[in-house]
Amino acid sequence: MPRRSLSTLISSFPFGPAALAMLVLTILSGLVLAFNPPPKKSATLTYWTFAKPHYDSYVKILPEFEREHPGVKVDLQLVTNTGLPQRLQAAFQADLDVPDLCEIEISSAGTFFRGPLEHVGFADLTDRIHKDGLLDKMVAARFAPYTKKGHIFGLPHDVHPVMLTYNRELFEKEGIDPNSIQTWDDFIRVGKKITIPHKRYMAEMVSTGTDEYEICLFQRGGAFFDANGNLTMDNDIAVKTMEFYVPLVAEGSKNQVAGSLSSSFGSVIVQGLQDQYFACLFTPDWRTGGLQQDAGAMAGKLAVMPLPAVEPGGRRTSTWGGTMLGITRHCQNQDLAWELAKFLYLDEKALPDRFRTTNIIPPVKHSWQLPVFHEERPFWSNQRIGEQFIALADQVPGQYSSPYIDTAKGKSTEALISCVKYYEHHGDDGFDAFVRSELKARADEVRRQIARNPY
Amino acid sequence: MKSVATTPVSVTSSRASASLRNRPQRWAPYLFLSPYVLLFLIFGLYPIVKSLILSLYVTNGPKDALFVGLANYAFLLHDHDFGTAVWNTIVYAFWSVFLQLPLSMGLALLLNTKWVRGREFFRLAFFSPNLLGQVFVGVLFTILYQPQFGLFNRFISWVSGGLIPVDTKWLQDPALVMPAIIITSLWMYVGFNMVYFLAALQAVDQDLYEAALVDGANSVQQFFAVTLPSIKPVATFVLVTATLGSLQLFELPYILLGNGSGPKNAGLTIVMYLYNNGFQTGDLGYASAIGWTLAFGMLIISLIQVRLTGATKANA
Amino acid sequence: MAIRPSIVLLRVGMYLALSLVACLSLIPFVWLVAATFKSSGDIFSYTFFAPLSRLTLGNYKDLVTTEPFLRYVINSVFVSCAGVVVQLFFSSLAGYALAKYQFPGKKAFYLLMLASLMIPGQVTLAPSYELLYRMHLVDTFAGLLIPGAVSVFGIFLFDRALQQVPDELIQAARIDGCNEFRIYYEIVMPMVRPMIGAFCLISFMGMWNSFLWPTVLLHSKEHFTLPIGLSQMVTLYSSQYGMLMAGTLLSIVPVVALFFVLQKEFIAGLTSGAVKG
Repeated sequence: MPRRSLSTLISSFPFGPAALAMLVLTILSGLVLAFNPPPKKSATLTYWTFAKPHYDSYVKILPEFEREHPGVKVDLQLVTNTGLPQRLQAAFQADLDVPDLCEIEISSAGTFFRGPLEHVGFADLTDRIHKDGLLDKMVAARFAPYTKKGHIFGLPHDVHPVMLTYNRELFEKEGIDPNSIQTWDDFIRVGKKITIPHKRYMAEMVSTGTDEYEICLFQRGGAFFDANGNLTMDNDIAVKTMEFYVPLVAEGSKNQVAGSLSSSFGSVIVQGLQDQYFACLFTPDWRTGGLQQDAGAMAGKLAVMPLPAVEPGGRRTSTWGGTMLGITRHCQNQDLAWELAKFLYLDEKALPDRFRTTNIIPPVKHSWQLPVFHEERPFWSNQRIGEQFIALADQVPGQYSSPYIDTAKGKSTEALISCVKYYEHHGDDGFDAFVRSELKARADEVRRQIARNPY
Repeated sequence: MKSVATTPVSVTSSRASASLRNRPQRWAPYLFLSPYVLLFLIFGLYPIVKSLILSLYVTNGPKDALFVGLANYAFLLHDHDFGTAVWNTIVYAFWSVFLQLPLSMGLALLLNTKWVRGREFFRLAFFSPNLLGQVFVGVLFTILYQPQFGLFNRFISWVSGGLIPVDTKWLQDPALVMPAIIITSLWMYVGFNMVYFLAALQAVDQDLYEAALVDGANSVQQFFAVTLPSIKPVATFVLVTATLGSLQLFELPYILLGNGSGPKNAGLTIVMYLYNNGFQTGDLGYASAIGWTLAFGMLIISLIQVRLTGATKANA
Repeated sequence: MAIRPSIVLLRVGMYLALSLVACLSLIPFVWLVAATFKSSGDIFSYTFFAPLSRLTLGNYKDLVTTEPFLRYVINSVFVSCAGVVVQLFFSSLAGYALAKYQFPGKKAFYLLMLASLMIPGQVTLAPSYELLYRMHLVDTFAGLLIPGAVSVFGIFLFDRALQQVPDELIQAARIDGCNEFRIYYEIVMPMVRPMIGAFCLISFMGMWNSFLWPTVLLHSKEHFTLPIGLSQMVTLYSSQYGMLMAGTLLSIVPVVALFFVLQKEFIAGLTSGAVKG
């Protein structure tokens, strides 16, 4: 009896069984949601970050901050890497839901400085920084990417010196002594010996992106923009870098020592290391942290060494990436936010654990004495990796901010791809002229974009 | 429930109760359409007008909007990146129509053959890729397209006997990005359009075929004389929606290329360029100008399409 | 009837072609399912399934522990089903008005709807966001459901389908004293159940897979739907392919299941609506 009435009930629903099912599911799921409301957030401060390693380390020490400031609650949110600048832009645009503190990646920071100074969404931290003497306590050059017209809007999170990670086992097998690689010429010489196209490369250097190109550019003292915001992606240093870089990655080039896979991270690169597809990787400190997490199978087989210099005695490092912490103008508790910023970024209680998991060395000079930075690391063949990075920290080249860094990078990538194609077909024939004209053409496109901006 | 047997309505009774019956009939349609109108006015018209106005400005955040008149549109004409986006989108739309639709049609014809067994299984198999949606397909195919290890390269390399190297960088080589996108969208949409064609084919009046047979037409002639004209309405519908849909391509390449536009902007589409300008750079004015240019282009193209198919319909 | 060898060849060839296409269509699914049971290190080591000893449920475990995945599922279910219910009601109502009533301004409505299809949704993204902000609907499900409450595609669909309903039926009901609305839901709607089924499926798919607008509108993690949640996980956990594939698989199961159930209605609905139109 009940079964028949149920089926008649179903068939009597005018819109049919499908619609009935939808309605029922709506009610059911609605009830589930109603009985599980999201926890009320009565946070004093909201903090957005995009990097999981940062998030993980903050979560551990935030309770300490909340203990020191009773009644204060910090809402820490992990927002996706690529989505965070957009989300923040949207928040600024609509004047809504703006977090109190937000971490921004170095190349996106400039986009928030596009308008007039008074309308930059971040609070001007210059006075606070001077008052707390941070320009002396921290690596001063790392403030530049977050500065506009002398006003500093962000606290640097890192220094990110770049070293070369090499497969120690492979080097030993091939009889390569890392100390014999002092300059890039040495590097190329050794590389040509061990590179077998499509099977093994000396290094991972991509030809469809600017990651390693940038590293080489910065090492030579070049950059995309200068301190005055002028575009320098086509200046002489850039040309020289391009002429250095392209022959190393072009297919069939006599100096080809580098290759690439579809990704520089995750399972792909781990597989590449395990298969000895790459002997070396360009690794800033954060990338070594990533390798520790992902490449368990390579434990004890990898080691780091400084980058080869351009000329004997020259700079042996570069930089890749960076994060800043900004306090937004919307924040109602600017002083408290500043306390939190200093706590997370400078407090020596926070730094050791962060270093162990991420390998990121802070730009806080006095903290470098902490024992944690001088530990031996079994994963890295017992090297004191912290020491190694710290030793290079003051040589890290500077960068300057611009709202057009991403555009310039994109255009440089286009130029790189074109130059690689040219070199693969024509070799050195007319290469210099081509590189110059190509870089200039792409740079001019960026200049047109810049000219369009009335701010 | 009262019986609703059809009773012929006599003229006298209709006139007598005409006024009573007509009144609710008069305002009912307006009432029924009112939710749509209301929603459109608030959530449709207002944003549309606002974005049209915005396209005349260069903006930066909520407080900075500089009136520039048609300067955004003028810049668009010379914008190299916009040109790339337009070219990519048109190439994609072209292949979507001229590669996908014939394939869908072919499959539909195959499945429509009388003696084919397992029709429902095949239909389900062909249609299922469409169920995923562009985001999930993007996530899946990012991994499938991995050089060296991904399934796609392994399969193609095996099938082609090694002619196509296993480390082909589908999503990293500027020349291969668009083909990769097209292949993925083929996988997603061939079955979808096939379902429309199949339904249309199955609804063709069989008597017409018999008449043609009597007239001595062979199968090819039957196809052109009976089949094509009969499915013209559906084919037009599919053509127009496929074109318009492909001109608005965004999510698939965006996810495939890791939230970017690919090497040398090879995967940049018009809508992606709009999104980047509006939500990364923060210039909503320029983004709106791009959007309106696209809308205008879509209007022209669909007018042309309707004209072409409509004109021939009159002749048929 | 004697079967000529050429016909046999033709038939075999056609079945081969069909099977080939079916394989190509289904292989990515097979890979997807297999990948969810492989640990991230093994993902590329085996083409499809790993040997039984290496199969693992770890990805699924990681999925629910690392992210509030179940929450994403419930959110998606609610948003999609509620969206379908709302769209079904309003679109079919509007479609009914267009199909069965003559009234001044009808042509204008058609033009209006056609014009609105021309505008790419992304153009109005920012102004819409600002509007919803003013209405305090940002980061709410209402903000998702209300603007999307009517589907123009649905109106066209029901307009075409409802034209098949015989006028005499409606007239007779009027004589019997039914009010207009009752005619709509007691008499007219039950006649187009296949089309309703089709619309439910299409609409559900659209809402389930919708990405751009929800990404812009929803901010807090507890409100995320599956596409948003999954695309975030792709960048956050880029190395854990196994977990990502598990998430992807779970995200597509409901739509596939729904399609299984509604397949007949879907096809019947399309046949009656799109074709005869």
